[in-house]
Amino acid sequence: MHSALVRLQNAFGFFTTVAFTVAAVIALSSFVSPQSPNAAMQVRNVQVVKGRPHYYSYKKEEYAHIKFDLDADLTSLFNWNTKQVFLYLKAVYPGTRSEPSSEAIIWDAILASSSAPWHQNHYIHPTTGKKLPKKSKKAQLAEKSNPASPYPIGELHLQSQRPKYQITDITGKLQNRENVTLELGWNVQPWVGALTWTNWQTLGVWKGLEGGRSDVFQFPEIGAKKVDMKDLKTEKGAEGYRLEVGGEQPRRKSQ
Amino acid sequence: MSEQMLEQVREAVEGQIDFEGQRLAEMLTTVLLGAAGIIAFLVGFAQQDIKLALYIGLAGTALTFLVVVPPWPFYNKNPEDWLPPHTISAPSYSIDVDGQKVG
Repeated sequence: MHSALVRLQNAFGFFTTVAFTVAAVIALSSFVSPQSPNAAMQVRNVQVVKGRPHYYSYKKEEYAHIKFDLDADLTSLFNWNTKQVFLYLKAVYPGTRSEPSSEAIIWDAILASSSAPWHQNHYIHPTTGKKLPKKSKKAQLAEKSNPASPYPIGELHLQSQRPKYQITDITGKLQNRENVTLELGWNVQPWVGALTWTNWQTLGVWKGLEGGRSDVFQFPEIGAKKVDMKDLKTEKGAEGYRLEVGGEQPRRKSQ
Repeated sequence: MSEQMLEQVREAVEGQIDFEGQRLAEMLTTVLLGAAGIIAFLVGFAQQDIKLALYIGLAGTALTFLVVVPPWPFYNKNPEDWLPPHTISAPSYSIDVDGQKVG
């Protein structure tokens, strides 16, 4: 500690120790923050159609298209250390003979906490259809550029939600499959600490997910119902376009 | 002239402090940084605001650096005197190494 340089090094060395220790304590503090998530979901409409994986493919596959209702209260997943929650809904169904059972994600969302900086891929909850009192021009403009969710962060009420992804599996055959359920899953991503996934069992102050699975349903036969092309649309997500490698930069609509 | 100036610059950059000052500086580093970490966590947890915790921690660290790194006058209150020059004829001291007189 005799010269300024040595004092600088010494103070910085101890700073790294303190920073690591505080980060560790913050990470552990997540585990004493109580959680009581619950979710309920219903299947609204299931259709199986024939399609091709891409335009030039000769292979015809069967695709399931599942519309659903989701009512979830995941507000307790958001504590001071939560950056965002990746939420996903998957269809789970047993394999035909030797294959293991399949799990395929049909819808997902990135729920950002209030401490996370804005990002275009963050989920924006659709507003309810109810007519709200008229707002000023300025408020309308602000709403357009920064739409607010009608519910607190982590609460979702989706009616007749279109899936984001149509699903198929390795066999390419989906019609008449039975014992299909929808299952909710999440991945909590903290600012510091470990990633945690859906917990079905209660662990300490973390209650297990209540509900979170739909009733059993089956994939219908192709052509069992008249196919309305409108029903087969997938949700693009109001949260903006995913940027992909080589993809086009999304163009903003002029206001 | 320029050598004198260089000497001054070197001393200012080196920032030497005395032994008591070194003990004090070490203690201040530990106490201030430790306190900053504890306060950062407690306030952040109470306010449920992780950014606040981060900024309190960083501010406390900056303060510690400011207090500890420059050679403040209070680190030089107990200067250690040099021994008298060796050339003085009758030395009033003696240095023994393993019983042998060396100085």
